[in-house]
Amino acid sequence: MNDKKNNVFLEGYENEFSYKKSKTNLNIEFNRIAFIFFIFLVISIIYSIQLLHIGSLKEATNNIKSSITKKNYRADIIDRNGNYLVKTVSSINIGINPIEVIDKKKLLINLQLIFPNKNYIEISQKLEKNKYFYLEKKITADNYEKIMMLGDKSIKSEEKLTRIYPQKNLFSHIIGQIDDDNNGISGLEKFFDSKLKQINEPLKLTVDTDIQYLIREELIKFNSVFRSKGSTAILMNVNNGEIISMVSYPDFDLNKRETVSDVNFINRATKGVYELGSVFKTFTVAAGLEEGLIKKDTEFLNLKKKLKCGKNIISEYDKKMPTNLTVEQILIRSGNIGSVRIGQKLEIEKLKLFLEKIGVLSKIDFDIEEVGEPIPFKWGKCKLATVSFGHGITTTPLQLAKGYAIITNGGFEIKPSLIKKTLEDNQNQKRIIKEGVSKDINEILRKIVTTKEGTAGLANIKGYEVGGKTGTAEKTVVGGYTRKAKVNTFVSIFPTSKPKYVMVVLLDEPKTSEDYIYKFKNKNGSYKGTPFNTAGWTSVEVAGKIIQKIGPILATKYMEN
Amino acid sequence: MKKIVFAIIFVLILATSLVKNSTKEIEDKIFMVNENIRPLTSELGDVLLEYNYLSSPDKLTQYQTQYFEKDLIKIDITKIKKLTEKKNYIKVSDFIEKIIDE
Repeated sequence: MNDKKNNVFLEGYENEFSYKKSKTNLNIEFNRIAFIFFIFLVISIIYSIQLLHIGSLKEATNNIKSSITKKNYRADIIDRNGNYLVKTVSSINIGINPIEVIDKKKLLINLQLIFPNKNYIEISQKLEKNKYFYLEKKITADNYEKIMMLGDKSIKSEEKLTRIYPQKNLFSHIIGQIDDDNNGISGLEKFFDSKLKQINEPLKLTVDTDIQYLIREELIKFNSVFRSKGSTAILMNVNNGEIISMVSYPDFDLNKRETVSDVNFINRATKGVYELGSVFKTFTVAAGLEEGLIKKDTEFLNLKKKLKCGKNIISEYDKKMPTNLTVEQILIRSGNIGSVRIGQKLEIEKLKLFLEKIGVLSKIDFDIEEVGEPIPFKWGKCKLATVSFGHGITTTPLQLAKGYAIITNGGFEIKPSLIKKTLEDNQNQKRIIKEGVSKDINEILRKIVTTKEGTAGLANIKGYEVGGKTGTAEKTVVGGYTRKAKVNTFVSIFPTSKPKYVMVVLLDEPKTSEDYIYKFKNKNGSYKGTPFNTAGWTSVEVAGKIIQKIGPILATKYMEN
Repeated sequence: MKKIVFAIIFVLILATSLVKNSTKEIEDKIFMVNENIRPLTSELGDVLLEYNYLSSPDKLTQYQTQYFEKDLIKIDITKIKKLTEKKNYIKVSDFIEKIIDE
């Protein structure tokens, strides 16, 4: 029994031993394979490191290369349809270094053959001065070939960047200018200076060349009809803030590369800060609706004909203004006293907050640097009264367009922009005004154009459902206002059933015309001569003509977006 | 087992070298194409610039007054028709379906 036990023990021991032996064998094989893998891994790592290193070297060389090319580079600018507004072309300037000239007489004869119309007495004098000078700037390809064939060491060629503006004056205020060293000095050229030197693709704008042209043509025409000092028009999409057209007249040809110092050439759309008058009444009404203090049919009874506030007397422009008016009627008839009463109901804080919310009180963040800053003022009882009907408060036409876009698009915040964005960028819209406000405002704005009492009947163009508000303001002079200089504004929205566009037309110091013939839109017949120097007879007419021209393009070309 | 591992390693090395070789060829081709595109892009840009200038609204209006006897007229949007292709016929309807004019 004892033997059996021993046997069992030995068998067990043998098994254990054989297991250990086999484990050792396995270890040896595994180590070999692991070793091979390890070597392979090391080789791969070395190879990868080398590859990465070469790659980074390549990238570095590319970067150096691109930074060299970018130095002499500026991206093109195109409109929303891909048409060139600015194109960079390289040009060659030819200069002469007189020190290196061997035979002056021979050189002059040769040059005379290539450039027969040059003043060679002057060139000869320059050669005597021994100072480097330019013989010909932006030389043609033919002449370049000829002059280089001369093989004269003293003739030097320099490659220069030239910006070509195929649309000449059309976008002068938007695009701006660059200096001789390829640095932007105004407009988009200045604001996007570094971006234009870096991006490989052209900078795409939101503007439409055809629409810009048609609007500018109308502004030029009516500038001579009403003998205005200048004028501006902005057409913007109310839903995403894309500016389709922005014209400020007078303008200048960018190809001439002139220094513009006359103040009359400022960008009136963005830089001009104006007291715009009654167009602000819409904001007062919208603020009242937003706060729930008034409704469209809320009645204001016993409205006075005159109000005295400090030294100022507030009165109605329309002497036949009824004493009892609803909110809707106040806006349609552009009542000053009624607007003051709405403003007083709102009180300072609520009106101020509303105007801040829609962005008319402070400087706007825009895509060009030429932006005006609304003149700051101290709020008080009298200020509240005047601001309610648009006096004693200033802003830029661009901010006015933005404000109207917000109160008519359903109450969504928008940022006016000249740069085309992707659809995704336009999707996150933030509501800042209650939903129902826009509906009420749009209905009233439509009635201003369609009803007899309204002030903008001349803009009632069939098929576009135009709505809008007029504003006639006297310009300020030392110690008060002058009746001689006015700013006539019309802000239009169309179509009012579902607003898509806001258009501001501002005429700076227009005068009445004796010969212009008005064709009525609401009834048959015409009228010769401007009866009153008000927005209703000037800027509304301009806006109507513009809508008539651009309307079919907007309706058909931009049906989807 | 040993043979399989070696075979795999060998195949991997072979495959890597083959892939790398073909990648190099493709890279060369891409480089060549890019180099050929560069002058064409520049030429296209110049042609487009010329086209944009010659077809700019300003130029077209100039040609119109120069060559056409009739003046350009504004289109009344209410007179624009919309054509919709149906199975056997084309439906003609007003572009502005409903004019709201109070």
